[in-house]
Amino acid sequence: MKTSFILTAYLIYLPVALLLTWYVARTLFNSGKIFMMDIFNGREDLAGSTNKLFEVGFYLLNLGFALLILRIGHELTSNQSMIEALSRKVGGYSIYLGIMLFMNMLLFFRGKRISKERKRLALLIKQTNQDVKGMAE
Amino acid sequence: MNLLAYLIYLLISWAITVNAGISFYKNGKHFLLNMLEGDEKMTNTVNLLLLTGYFMINLGYVTMMISMWETVITWHQLVETITLMTGKIMLLLAAMHYFNMTTIYLYYRFNLTTKKNIHL
Repeated sequence: MKTSFILTAYLIYLPVALLLTWYVARTLFNSGKIFMMDIFNGREDLAGSTNKLFEVGFYLLNLGFALLILRIGHELTSNQSMIEALSRKVGGYSIYLGIMLFMNMLLFFRGKRISKERKRLALLIKQTNQDVKGMAE
Repeated sequence: MNLLAYLIYLLISWAITVNAGISFYKNGKHFLLNMLEGDEKMTNTVNLLLLTGYFMINLGYVTMMISMWETVITWHQLVETITLMTGKIMLLLAAMHYFNMTTIYLYYRFNLTTKKNIHL
């Protein structure tokens, strides 16, 4: 009977973790496309691939972590202890996913800032070149 | 029990590795094309070589892990060991992936600064 509680807990945890990851990834990378278009100045191929690569990396990292922490070390003797163990796992994984979401958002914002800076710099150089030309003439 | 575990494990991890590899192959092409300044032929060659190397290393690692498997007796041990091993593989893939992306990004930055021009 002991082992069957653990097996049930695993069978509940796995789909929940998969669903949580899928939900977060979908939300994050649907908005990610807009960021990437901004960062790569509307170059669709690069923006799309970067987004896709980040998405695959996100799935690998987080699902890998979810599978790694699955193991329940102590014995489960009742429904109550099973639910307690499950809540710990699912809650912990959910917090971890939230932190990962914010890390990815930070990355997006950083890229956006750098591309903005670059655009400003390019404009400045263009203007300076025009000024120099104007002075020469 | 162990044989069943090997079968499930191999199916899952091979599927993940091959899927991820094909996705990298398709999406990485644009980066390589950008890096090699639009040399299409060179890009395809480099990309294919990278994919082959990736498959060799990861599938080899996946298959090798079988030799150090603990004995499985109960069903919950089966689920436990399979997920643990698959999780390790996925984390390894993720680490390699992020390393590659950082390398490409750094290379791109390096190119940008050495050429002293700003792409818009």
